[in-house]
Amino acid sequence: MADQVTKKQEEKNRQNEIFAEFKEEELFARVPLDSMSAEKITAPRYSYWQSVFRVFFHKKINIIILAILAIVVLMAYVYPVVVHYDPFLNLLNSEAKHLGPKAAMELFGKSIHYILGTGGSGESTFDAIWYGSRISISLAFICALINMVIGVLIGAVWGFSKKVDMIMTQVYNIIGNLPSILLIAVLVMLIGAGFWSMVFALTITGWLSVAYFIRTQVVIIRDREYNLASKCLGTSTIKIALRNILPFMTSVIVTLAATEIPSYISMEVFLAYIGLGLSDKSLGVIISEAQSAMVTPGWELEFWSPVAITAIIAVVLYVAGQNLGDASDPRTHV
Amino acid sequence: MAKYLIKRILYGIFSLVVVVAIVMILIYSMLNRDLVFAGDPNFVKQAGNQKEAYMYNKWEQYGYMDYVPYADYLKDLCKAGQIDEETRSKAASIGRKEDKDSDLTKEYVAKFKEYYTSKGYTIIRLDAKMAGKKVANGGQQQLFAYRDVPLSQRIWKYFTGLLSFDNIHKVENITGERGITFTWYDPAYGGHRLAPAIIGNGTYHKYLLYVDDRFPFVHQHFVSLNLGTSYTVNQGVDVFTTMNATQGSYVKSLVTYPTGHTEMTADDLHTATYLEGSLKASLVYADRFTDDYTNVITKKNGLSKIGYSFVIGIIEVILAYLIGLPIGVWMSRRKDKLADKIGTCYIVFVIAVPSIAYIFMIKAIGGKLGLPTTFDMESASKLMYMLPIISLALPSIGGLMKWMRRYMIDQMNSDYVKFARSGGLSEGEIFFKHIMKNAAIPIIHGIPGAVLFAMVGAIVTERVYVVPGAGNLLTIAINKYDNGVIVGVTLFYATLSVVSLILGDVLMAIFDPRISFTTKDR
Repeated sequence: MADQVTKKQEEKNRQNEIFAEFKEEELFARVPLDSMSAEKITAPRYSYWQSVFRVFFHKKINIIILAILAIVVLMAYVYPVVVHYDPFLNLLNSEAKHLGPKAAMELFGKSIHYILGTGGSGESTFDAIWYGSRISISLAFICALINMVIGVLIGAVWGFSKKVDMIMTQVYNIIGNLPSILLIAVLVMLIGAGFWSMVFALTITGWLSVAYFIRTQVVIIRDREYNLASKCLGTSTIKIALRNILPFMTSVIVTLAATEIPSYISMEVFLAYIGLGLSDKSLGVIISEAQSAMVTPGWELEFWSPVAITAIIAVVLYVAGQNLGDASDPRTHV
Repeated sequence: MAKYLIKRILYGIFSLVVVVAIVMILIYSMLNRDLVFAGDPNFVKQAGNQKEAYMYNKWEQYGYMDYVPYADYLKDLCKAGQIDEETRSKAASIGRKEDKDSDLTKEYVAKFKEYYTSKGYTIIRLDAKMAGKKVANGGQQQLFAYRDVPLSQRIWKYFTGLLSFDNIHKVENITGERGITFTWYDPAYGGHRLAPAIIGNGTYHKYLLYVDDRFPFVHQHFVSLNLGTSYTVNQGVDVFTTMNATQGSYVKSLVTYPTGHTEMTADDLHTATYLEGSLKASLVYADRFTDDYTNVITKKNGLSKIGYSFVIGIIEVILAYLIGLPIGVWMSRRKDKLADKIGTCYIVFVIAVPSIAYIFMIKAIGGKLGLPTTFDMESASKLMYMLPIISLALPSIGGLMKWMRRYMIDQMNSDYVKFARSGGLSEGEIFFKHIMKNAAIPIIHGIPGAVLFAMVGAIVTERVYVVPGAGNLLTIAINKYDNGVIVGVTLFYATLSVVSLILGDVLMAIFDPRISFTTKDR
């Protein structure tokens, strides 16, 4: 304590010495009156995204979740690039089919490929899962991205304009009553079951529910007092939308995205199960093909490992997204 | 309120029409119609011109087009009395090539062409395909007219045919006098048991009103619903009938046929419908029936498709509400405590994990515990309902928990709660008397939908447990290109969703006096 006091005293003395050398005119200059800076309010520096991540990483569970997510994404995107996987490598080898991990290792020697055994055409289950994950995760991300972008943009307009609201609500009531399976089935028959045609089939009406959700949120916030005040002060509608409402919606949008991505992973599995799956070997296709393996003793791993990975991916993405959504709500930043 | 409801119903009907129109455009105009032959075993057997004619014939049956062979045109003329039988058979034989027609044939072919071209049909004439001097296999000459059914006409026909009213001029060539008779003693029961019935002659259904021992005990056939006729799923039968017909093995009972012949049989005489010329066609019928009302449905011991789906669905809904809501309330009371956290984990699991994953998990666990994992209509055991109900209930419970907790917590921060607390009400009183009542309003809105959609069935659950329910009807119809069923099922689903939304709003308004639909305000 005493140390600090003497330090401060020293500092002051040094400053006085420096100032003594100058005249008053040299020390002070007249500054013109700046009305703009008079309006400024000094507040502690607040960076929105910094606070979001501070709150997000404050929870220990999020670090664990992110670590799992990183492993999954790494395995899904890097592993297939590094490791060559040929699903038909052992097709003609009748001994290689439906092997448990132990038997597969005995047959092929110890390697990471066979720690989950082999599937119906002698392929490595471990490799198949990661190749499938890449397709499934990509599909889910791209569909969610397209839906979110279109949905948020249209939803914002939908919420703002009463004319658009009348038309779009009718459209929503009609499209919402179309069985989505039928729509997807027809589109798949029309344009094939490739990756991008599946993206098209899933997003052609998928954005509508996102837009409706955003519309409801916009309607709730639109007529709040602060927006009314802003309008009275002459702020343009676009500025109100971008500056007043969009920040308010960030957490809603992030939370929604967090439910969209896992929902598309589930959707893909569901479609594959009812026979409308991708032509590529995605997780859903692997699961539906391995269905019979579930009830066959000794083959269970073939079925349960893709199911487990799907579940892990979906849960991790969901929890990470939900918690990010919570963290992006400014009210949690205090 | 009434005015508002009428408006809502009209809007609902409008959206139903548009939904049906969109579905019709999707399946009739956008899909490649050659696909219907993909799984058709008869198609590959056809060759040459016959194959062509077969395709058009099938397309007519699937509802794509109107198709009129030349021979049918002549038959119609004959029936209308414009030509006699002899001219018909002479005119019907067309030459191998157009210039080889006889003069009489030429005359009628020209008439045929003129008549159908004026109606917008396209005339196709295929010359005989020859193999040497003989006609090649299936290469016979063909002459027919076809026209794609325009969308407007298709929709008009569909909606006007949706309800059909039976009357005594419904069928042609009736034996005996047309009319309706009322009897206290139903002849199907032998004629001495008190069972009122209305029997028609000239109507499509023989029995217009009758009583039996099945729910709802009194049945009518005055008005029948035609959602769409199936072609491949259940040939020639209406979707609604397909969904409502009993399944399983036959239930025999003592039946007195119109001729007086009694027999232990599964035939349900009350479902008799008119089938032209059927009495003459079969000796079996001649023993039993006195007229052409021979087309009967058999009684079976199982429930209908909707029946199974609804039994499973309704139990699931009741369970979900009974379990999900209290847990949701409890979680909100213990917010951020252990119970809340465990509940949240469960909700996350149920929402994020693909339904197939946990349905299979439940199936595997249930199988280990010795519960039946596949549905068997013949089995008397009610245990087979267990796993499907559990599989359906777990996600619904999760969903209800999530929303109930959310609504409760939202209400807990309201001003009226603070006011009640400052007024000295006990926490329990505030919680159960005030917060819960308000939080329940949005939950109540979903109840009609949950109950009605129990009828629809669940696709994955019913597949996994082999339940003969209604859930898979749409996917089966899509796979089999059964256009009639697709349209019918879509209309059925859409009607349920429109009705459940309206009912939900009404229920909410009844429950919450603050909600009123008479004044429009936002």
